[in-house]
Amino acid sequence: MTAPTIEVRQLGKWFGSVVALSDLTFDVGPGITALLGPNGAGKSTLFRVMCGLANPSQGTVRIFGEDPRGNPCLTRRIGIVPQQEQLFERQTLTEFVQLAATLHRLPDPAGATRLAIEAVDLDPGDTRPLAAYSKGMRQRAKLAQAVVNDPDLLVLDEPLEGLDPRQRLRSIELFRHLGEQGKTVVVSSHVLDEVERFGSRILVITQGRLVAEGPFTAIRELMDDRPLHLRIGTDRPPRLAAGLLTSGVVIGAKVNEAWVEVETNDAAGFRRSIAAIARDCDARLTEVRALDDDLESVFAYLVGRR
Amino acid sequence: MTLSTARSPGAPAASSAFPTVWWVLVRSLATRIRLAGLGLLGVAAIVLGLAAHVGHPDSRPDAAWSIIDSYGLSILVPVVALVFASAALGDLAEDGTLVYLWLRPVPRWQLAVAAFAASVTAVVPVAVLPLVVGAAISGGGARLVAGATVGGLLAAVAYSAVFCGLGLRVRRALAWGLAYLLIWEQAVARVSHGAARASLFVHTRSLAASVAGRPPPRNAVAWTTGLIFPLLVTAVALALTTWSLNRGEVA
Repeated sequence: MTAPTIEVRQLGKWFGSVVALSDLTFDVGPGITALLGPNGAGKSTLFRVMCGLANPSQGTVRIFGEDPRGNPCLTRRIGIVPQQEQLFERQTLTEFVQLAATLHRLPDPAGATRLAIEAVDLDPGDTRPLAAYSKGMRQRAKLAQAVVNDPDLLVLDEPLEGLDPRQRLRSIELFRHLGEQGKTVVVSSHVLDEVERFGSRILVITQGRLVAEGPFTAIRELMDDRPLHLRIGTDRPPRLAAGLLTSGVVIGAKVNEAWVEVETNDAAGFRRSIAAIARDCDARLTEVRALDDDLESVFAYLVGRR
Repeated sequence: MTLSTARSPGAPAASSAFPTVWWVLVRSLATRIRLAGLGLLGVAAIVLGLAAHVGHPDSRPDAAWSIIDSYGLSILVPVVALVFASAALGDLAEDGTLVYLWLRPVPRWQLAVAAFAASVTAVVPVAVLPLVVGAAISGGGARLVAGATVGGLLAAVAYSAVFCGLGLRVRRALAWGLAYLLIWEQAVARVSHGAARASLFVHTRSLAASVAGRPPPRNAVAWTTGLIFPLLVTAVALALTTWSLNRGEVA
């Protein structure tokens, strides 16, 4: 059995009285792992601790079996895309990426720089300063400097933010490719659908705590199993409410002149049967809308069931 | 798509990290706004030198020494060093770009020394050189020029080392640095004999006065102490900056 790339044990991190991370324990091995959580969940702080950029307040982090703190040699095997947008604004793209290649003491910094820039679909011959780059181009510049040393561990903090759909697709292809090569790729995101496309294992973190982990499908099911509030627009609210309650797919209903609000524990069953129930009740449906399907409410539910 | 040619374990280093980091930091320090604003302070030293030159020939040495002591070593070099050195690592830590230097297999002492060297590289042409030119123009004599050169260089080195560390560790380092210069260096150390023992200004002006052949200023120390103390402060400051980079938290 191969040792995990990242071992996190009882990790805690706080800033004064603010708890950023609390009692995190998990392992990450080769392939893509997505870190999913809302803004402010502690994802960036976790990445900073994992890379040795910040010290844990309690617990331990091991990267390739070593403590990342005060360990510059370990950085030879790590590539990071930090969340902040600022770059060395007066440098050109090639200068910026070649800086990383040179500091990694690569045997051919210029060649590695060209490869890395081409891998993110940018132009190695671009002589404009980075200050002139769009947000998407800056993201790719950060990605290029992260992969220039062909790292075994790639830590990517919201790397798809600011990219257009085509660039997202290309970046996801690159992450998958690196994962298939046996690299460990850890990607953070607060967008569930984005994470789905990684086809990866997921760690769900919110309020600094790990609230779920597993393959995407398992997490998706977990989220589907939670109580769901829906509003159903119809021309016959009382009749439809009665039909839904009788069928057992909802556990509660509130009736208004133009709609019914229901609560269900079986989102999949509800989706399957709502059309048939409406037909049986001779009710016309004008809308079916989840009232709490945003990611924040999903995270809140996951926190609650822990 | 392959990146596998990038790394070649055990291959010899293609180039050293130190000059690369130094040059990156020099470029990030030498912004137009900084050069223009601080350049004016340097030009003022030359203008003062010209003013001393047009005065009576007998008064030129005293006037020239006043430029070195009361302007060059008191204000010009420390303030220019504060602005450049506190930004050398401080700006990078604040805007988050330090990670692009820190998360590399580069010994932390090299980052600290490169930041210090970048700061000195900026301070010398912007502050020390105009001070020396001002002293030369004033007509005070070769020894005064030598005093301005030695005192100015030593002050540039010591203040740069101190303010590099301050910029890394302290938010609003400019404000704290100015408070240190005004309260400690220019007020307390001037009146208190004990405090003068721990003042960079007192030591650099003592050495400058000795080299320039001027009478020892108030609270002066021996020229050897004036030379050794700032160098010792420089070494300790660099060690602390290295320690901070090793142990501290990087933005």
